[in-house]
Amino acid sequence: MPVQQIAFLVWLLFAIIIAAVFGIIGWRSRQKVDVSPARVNRFRILLLVILLVLSVIFWAYTLPKVPYPTEARQPDMVVFVTGKQFNFGIATHPMPTEKEWEEVVNFGEPVVLPRNKLIEFRVTSLDVNHGFSLYDPDHLLIGQVQAMPGYMNRLRYRFTKPGEYTVLCLEYCGNGHHRMRGAFTVQ
Amino acid sequence: MEATTIQSTRQPEPIILIQETTLTGEEQAQFKKLTLVWLTTALALFPILVILGLLMRGSQAAILKMSPELFYAFMTLHGLGMVGIWYIAGMAGAGLLLSRYVRPSLALSRGVFWATLVAVVLLIVATLIGKFITGWYFLYPLPLYPADVWKPWATLAFFAFLTIAGVAWTLWTVDYLRAIASRYSLKRALAWDVLFKKVKESDVPPMILILTVSLISALAGFLAAVVLIALFAAEALSSGFTNDALLMKNLVFYFGHVLVNITMYLGVAMVYELFPAFAEKGKLTTKWMVAAAWNASLLLVNLAYFHHLYMDFVQPGLLQKLGQIASYLVSVPAGVVTIISVLSLAFGSRMTWRLPSLLFFLGVMGWAIGGMAAVVDSTIVVNFRFHNTLWVPAHFHTYYLAGVVFMILGFAFQYAAELSGKAENLRLGRWLTALLTVGAYGFLSMFFYAGAHSVPRRYAVYPSEVHQGAGYAQVAIVFILLILTGVIIYLWEYGRRCVHAFSAHSH
Ligand code: HEM
Ligand SMILES: [Cu+2]
Ligand SMILES: [Cu+2]
Repeated sequence: MPVQQIAFLVWLLFAIIIAAVFGIIGWRSRQKVDVSPARVNRFRILLLVILLVLSVIFWAYTLPKVPYPTEARQPDMVVFVTGKQFNFGIATHPMPTEKEWEEVVNFGEPVVLPRNKLIEFRVTSLDVNHGFSLYDPDHLLIGQVQAMPGYMNRLRYRFTKPGEYTVLCLEYCGNGHHRMRGAFTVQ
Repeated sequence: MEATTIQSTRQPEPIILIQETTLTGEEQAQFKKLTLVWLTTALALFPILVILGLLMRGSQAAILKMSPELFYAFMTLHGLGMVGIWYIAGMAGAGLLLSRYVRPSLALSRGVFWATLVAVVLLIVATLIGKFITGWYFLYPLPLYPADVWKPWATLAFFAFLTIAGVAWTLWTVDYLRAIASRYSLKRALAWDVLFKKVKESDVPPMILILTVSLISALAGFLAAVVLIALFAAEALSSGFTNDALLMKNLVFYFGHVLVNITMYLGVAMVYELFPAFAEKGKLTTKWMVAAAWNASLLLVNLAYFHHLYMDFVQPGLLQKLGQIASYLVSVPAGVVTIISVLSLAFGSRMTWRLPSLLFFLGVMGWAIGGMAAVVDSTIVVNFRFHNTLWVPAHFHTYYLAGVVFMILGFAFQYAAELSGKAENLRLGRWLTALLTVGAYGFLSMFFYAGAHSVPRRYAVYPSEVHQGAGYAQVAIVFILLILTGVIIYLWEYGRRCVHAFSAHSH
């Protein structure tokens, strides 16, 4: 199941529980019942413990999986990505100037990446912030990183599914933001 | 089982809650009037900004055709306008509640009001006419890249708006803190005597504690904004100096995060102060739990903002993980203290549900549901796929629209009802609440669903890869129309009471 779906269902579950609790309590406001402050406090402690335990479980499960690169491992292949209003230049060599960027965007060969290899995208921008994203052949968003002027963000990914990948811009960058895109192939 | 109560009347008089203040005579009358003017200004702008939201959804649904420049102008104005009106309405309401215990300055509030009006005009001119369309958080360096879309004067108008609103609101914040400190001292207002167990219970109401926490955070946020604006100006005016994009991002998100969070807290403060009376119970007091929870919030709000920078991989990894831990923890005190307090007040209360108490209760629920969505998104591995998708507007629209907006609508209605003395229509109140609630959650569910289906936020139209976004937008429109209807009925009821209050005064 995609991460999105799990996250959505987890949230939905909590939302339903919250709504149910508010609904039941709202309903129970119709009768007169005396609640002692001590009982309310016991509920507080209980909820505190539940929330803390849940937090620790979620942290233990998710924090080791953060997508940040570690120096311990070297990537199998490096791809350079440079954003500029309103296109992504994607190539196997860097594009430090506008001229080189335009060459890649207008005449560059589409990049083809191997499967099951650790690919490192070195992502930057020549003007404003952009968002470099990976949409898989089924148009599922599988990851992203910011393209920031003056910085090089490194996004690593091991592709398993072959096909055409789309890059959409995921940081608002001006009136052409929704048109800004890029593409590459995984074989 | 006990028989449920039959209301003796379906049109009871409003209960009197907010009227009493420490101000006297003419000053009191003026202060009350000014509060009503603040609230009415915000409420009058609300439907206009909702219509901008409707038009945006229309474009995304591929029903309306508009230029991307117009869409992004609407988006920028809608975002900043909404954040602004709920902040000022929250602050104005907080001022009125404060005036029951301490003395905020009437003259200052009046000055801030006029400055805010000037700022609003500048914002409208900069976005709608000048097409300054950077989105509500004007991420560096976009304002410096107009690309023939906007002229330098529009940039100037926008930064004048920011500066004027920023200075005015900072002064407003400082004045409230001064008012609090002159009666309680900030240490006592922060309930440190209770926290460090010098006393068991404080005579400082929780509302004052929450406001003090909010106001101090607000000051820190405004300070970041000042530095941000100064750095922008330095780059625009000097040749050769360029800013650090990562630093600028940290500054703007610190500011934005704090502003949005304390707006929530302003609504929560209203609920703390007023909900007990609706539930026909005694006032809430500041005990150790409450003191600990809000002091923890003061600390955690400052660390949680790192969740806005998860996708900047160059940000130190330790801060990223700290961001996730703080984002989870910040929801704990809120849940354990505020939500349980409100629930325990309602439980077994046999209260008469009026429009304000319904909106308070549901507002706290919206806060919790939206907060959960925020916690989910503050998980780094989830954010990797949710960042800048419609999940983001989904969660913040939930705790704004179905959260703090509900609370402030409840507050404003209560205030107008008290001033007018006009009887309330309980049945209408229920239908109105139902309409707003169904509309809001229907509208929100489409944002959530789209976010979970990879649809990006801030797209004027959706490209073929995410064409499903258009369908969700079409469904959302139906619900937005429900909200709009609800808002208009609300404003009619609110407006009638305001008019009645004033015509009664003049006799
Ligand atoms: C019925 C009421 C509302 C409707 C129909 C509505 C609609 C929208 C839409 C369609 C967007 C653009 C989403 C995207 O594609 O990124 C948006 C953005 C936004 N809305 Fe609302 N909204 C409503 C209420 C509110 C409220 C109460 C707030 C309170 C603060 C708010 C604050 C914002 C902000 C800050 C943005 C982001 C702007 C940006 O990305 O620069 N909205 N809204
Ligand atoms: Cu872009
Ligand atoms: Cu973009």
